[in-house]
Amino acid sequence: MANRRNSKVVSSSTRALVRAWQVRRALFLVVPYFFLLLWLFTGGVHMDVRPGELYEVPSEPAWEKPNAEHWFGTTGEGADLFDLSRHAMATSVAVAVVSVALGIGLALLFTALYVFDPGKKRFQLLYMMSRGGYIVPSMVVLVILAGASGGSLGVAIFGLILVIAFHLSPVLANWFQEGESGFDVTAGYVLGLSRREIVLHRVFPKVLRRLPGVFASLVPPVVLIEMALSFLGLTGDRLSCGAMIAYGQAMIIEAPWMAISPGIMASGVVLILSLLGWRVSAALQIGPLPRIF
Amino acid sequence: MARLILQRLLVSLIRFGGAILVLLVLVEFAYCVLGGSGNHVWLYDSYGPVPPELTSRPVNWAGLFFDRLAATLPVAGLAFGGILLIGYSWGVMGARLRRFHLARILSAPFSAFACIPGFWFVVLVAIYSYFSWQRPGFANDLIVEDGPNLLAWWHAAVIALPAMALGAAWQIREVSGVLEREVALPYVKGLHLAGYSDEDIFYGNAFRRAVPLLISVSDRTLSSVVGSLICLEYAFRFPGSGALLVESVKLQSYAGIFVSALSLSLIVSVGVLLRDWILKLVQPE
Repeated sequence: MANRRNSKVVSSSTRALVRAWQVRRALFLVVPYFFLLLWLFTGGVHMDVRPGELYEVPSEPAWEKPNAEHWFGTTGEGADLFDLSRHAMATSVAVAVVSVALGIGLALLFTALYVFDPGKKRFQLLYMMSRGGYIVPSMVVLVILAGASGGSLGVAIFGLILVIAFHLSPVLANWFQEGESGFDVTAGYVLGLSRREIVLHRVFPKVLRRLPGVFASLVPPVVLIEMALSFLGLTGDRLSCGAMIAYGQAMIIEAPWMAISPGIMASGVVLILSLLGWRVSAALQIGPLPRIF
Repeated sequence: MARLILQRLLVSLIRFGGAILVLLVLVEFAYCVLGGSGNHVWLYDSYGPVPPELTSRPVNWAGLFFDRLAATLPVAGLAFGGILLIGYSWGVMGARLRRFHLARILSAPFSAFACIPGFWFVVLVAIYSYFSWQRPGFANDLIVEDGPNLLAWWHAAVIALPAMALGAAWQIREVSGVLEREVALPYVKGLHLAGYSDEDIFYGNAFRRAVPLLISVSDRTLSSVVGSLICLEYAFRFPGSGALLVESVKLQSYAGIFVSALSLSLIVSVGVLLRDWILKLVQPE
């Protein structure tokens, strides 16, 4: 009689297809993300644009109000504000993506230090630190870190990673605890599986499945925070919508669009990212996240 | 009861002490390790008198602390009061009409407003104020010398509005979520079978049982609201604790940083303490 058992390749690819079908709604959202990022990151602006130089007003300014050719108007040197704002948002989104990804990774690493401990109060220290740290607002930490380093973007990213990891660790700890109360985990213990096997093969996948939703939900607020820091002048002389609005304030009377236009672009991009993040988190059923910022 | 209240007060004081320690370590790490400064936080010389850039009148650090805290409190009160008012009333309504997904619909305008950078919004208000009302729009442009200072409340409201939008959407969804989880419990089905009306089950049973949980989520937005004031106050040139933090960081004034950061932490700390006390009054065990 022929052996009818599937090969490992067939069974693993079937499992992968089934999982992909289970998260098809989240996967479908990759398409709008792709188009948004493609639009943001394909611009003709050079990377070394400094807002300080860009917003300098020449003796005979060549700026234009928003019109059919330049939707967002132009700067004193005649540079198109739409392209500049798009380039600025690309930088902000890149900073947010890196910070959130590393922040989630650090939170996972930090929580994993406690997960293998079988004690019931293993996350107690984590919860206690979270409750204590809550009274120092995240923005205070970020402003002090970014400001003290003399406006270094690297330090701002470092601060964002720390803050995200700090506030996300108790959430992940809760999810690990929820995951351990499932029927499959009890069955695993009854069958004699070790704690390590249960945590790695039963609980971890449940937590990991939710992380793309966490990522999608956290990117929009982090984009806003990055812009806020650059508005305060704490991330160096680098093109960002926050810095553009800050420099544009000086020309409120002569050219108000210099402060208004970057904000429109920022609001639009953050709104789209928020809508996508909401759909991804709903598709992956991550539940409510704490307000970090 | 007095024991419980004092116990929470002690916990709150310990947490505030922890916050002071965290700030000391943070400033030392940020300025001396990352920034390469030689002024350590434990050196007396690192703290001088109040720099003239931080105040318009001669005042010591304690005076500056109270001045800035007095300016920030109405803003924080307006923002957080608005969040509680809107979050609870609309959240309960959303849970009551959950079949129409009302919580999502009610929180959507606030979520959309929260996507607008708050600092940009206050700058827009200043621009609009200049062009439409023919008056300087930022908070430090006009000072009321006689009569009731209604302008100060206008300024506070302009800053509080974006700060409130950040938290209101979250609070509506959280309150609604707590009540929806309560309504999904098996005893509710039992009450339905026993012939209780929808309204009676929701307000008389589910809501009453969820009150401790609803109180426990009341302070969750406070830290983010207070944090958002830092950028909003600075953008609107409002002389509050948030703006003081940014100015002090730029001037490398340790005392200014501690004064502002501690006043912001104090607001959060008092909010958490009040939440704890109310929770203990409602549910002493």
